[in-house]
Amino acid sequence: MEFTKDKIATLLIFLPSLILVGYFVYASIGWNAIVSISDWRGLRPSYNIVGIAQYVSLSDDPVFWISLENNLLLISLFVPGSLLLGLFLAILLNAKVRAESTFRTIYLLPFALSFVITASLWAWMYNPSIGVMNSLLEKIGLGFLESGWVTDSSIAMYSIILALIWQFSGYTMLVFLAGIRSIPESQIMAARVDGASSVKIYRRIVIPQLKLSALAAFVVLMVFALKAFDFIFILTAGGPGYSTYVLPLMMYRETFSMTHFAYGAAIATLLFAVVMVVVVPYLYVSSRRRKE
Amino acid sequence: MSQKPERIILYVLLAFFAFTSLLPLWTCLMTSLKTMNDVIYTMPLQPPPSPTLQPMIQAFDIMKRPVLNSFAFTMFATIFSCALGSINGYILTKIRFKGSGTVFLLLAIGIFIPYQTVLIPLVMTMSSLGLYNTIQGLILTHTAYGIPICTLLFRNFYEDIPDSLMRAAKTDGAGTWTIFRRIVLPLSPPMFAVAGVFQFTGIWNDFLFGLVLARGTEALPASVALANLKGTTTAFWNIQMAGAWWYALPVAIIYLVLGKYLIQGYMAGAIKG
Repeated sequence: MEFTKDKIATLLIFLPSLILVGYFVYASIGWNAIVSISDWRGLRPSYNIVGIAQYVSLSDDPVFWISLENNLLLISLFVPGSLLLGLFLAILLNAKVRAESTFRTIYLLPFALSFVITASLWAWMYNPSIGVMNSLLEKIGLGFLESGWVTDSSIAMYSIILALIWQFSGYTMLVFLAGIRSIPESQIMAARVDGASSVKIYRRIVIPQLKLSALAAFVVLMVFALKAFDFIFILTAGGPGYSTYVLPLMMYRETFSMTHFAYGAAIATLLFAVVMVVVVPYLYVSSRRRKE
Repeated sequence: MSQKPERIILYVLLAFFAFTSLLPLWTCLMTSLKTMNDVIYTMPLQPPPSPTLQPMIQAFDIMKRPVLNSFAFTMFATIFSCALGSINGYILTKIRFKGSGTVFLLLAIGIFIPYQTVLIPLVMTMSSLGLYNTIQGLILTHTAYGIPICTLLFRNFYEDIPDSLMRAAKTDGAGTWTIFRRIVLPLSPPMFAVAGVFQFTGIWNDFLFGLVLARGTEALPASVALANLKGTTTAFWNIQMAGAWWYALPVAIIYLVLGKYLIQGYMAGAIKG
């Protein structure tokens, strides 16, 4: 009798979380999927099921393809850029640096800040007339590199990527540094005794053992590259024109500015599917690894 | 001796990246202490020739209510999500039941979902509960979406508590809840520090939920207020930068004082998955 009472008590304290996550995550994902196959447009909800009509019109919408392209640009430049710079910083910091923890604190600081703050800072940095980037370039004699940054549609997306690498490289540094430090000292000592150079030690011993750190950081960055919203919304709001639209921003605009709820829900559903393609295999692999 | 030039290059590189890391923050501080005249006619990196606190004061007037709002919902949502995360972590590691692995996987997916996928249902739910534009609505939202990551953090921690501690208590007839209270909770303060700092900064920094759930003044979060400030004071960079400082201040203090807990949170969130 005591045993069942205990089981009921356990279930009762577990229940609030299950209900909250069940409702706000899973039921909501399903609800959103239903909206995406409806014809809901305007402030009054409508659940007339029209099938895949929204998805079909998405495939004809040039803004959708621009947004998707920009998400892919984030994946192909922001993700490797942050990984490489973070790895480089970790290698630098691993060289028995004096005041290591001060450098680490400084490098990681941007990552702790809200995107609302970093986007405001970069709006000021990139201001074409009196901002830091152009003034600084002029000062050091590189005036020919001055540009409109986020106001120039041909390089706005690259300016965003540069700023995001600035914000995330401290995080990747942290992950890689922890990875490097978890490699047994004896392996490195042995290689050094054999006369291996630092470059060789990193290439042959350290970097191959950073696969798990790289994978973890890779997944976090990939998911961010797909979800990126706050920073871009505040810095450029998708402009100039549609040049810095990404899928989450398009979803927000379609839904909350244009009140085209069904259309926004379709974008959101696609976004969810893509993120799951990245995340589910990772969670599966890492839960398998834990069991071993 | 031959190592010397290498060390110099190393420190030059380290200093260069420290400089780029701090550059936007430095110019933000300098600009927030300048008059509009100085903002236009002096270099952005240059200290103000005639320092003024006027922009800070003006920004404070605009930001003080939103900052208090943010404090209110961030505090409560942090406490609730950590409490629930701790309970879940305990149940998932110490009470083995069929399907606990699946339950955990379903919770973990919640960490990664793009919130765009749930925005429409969320707005509908909050307005039908009468929680649209309220602090309570933000507390509920941040608590619900904070449960997955908090569960992960506590689960990783509780896995390291030896089962033998619990077995002894069980043979003494202690129930699940008693074991949690008497044995697990007293071991948890460090983990509450990690999860608490992680959640506090995460919720404080949130923009999207605030944007869609609380655009009215009653519950306006500081993040959305700062974004609005950018829209309403377009050319007044000094006021915008001052506003950024007011919003950044609590997280900056936490980062400098409790940074080691925040770092543990980042690491646990990424590496253990």
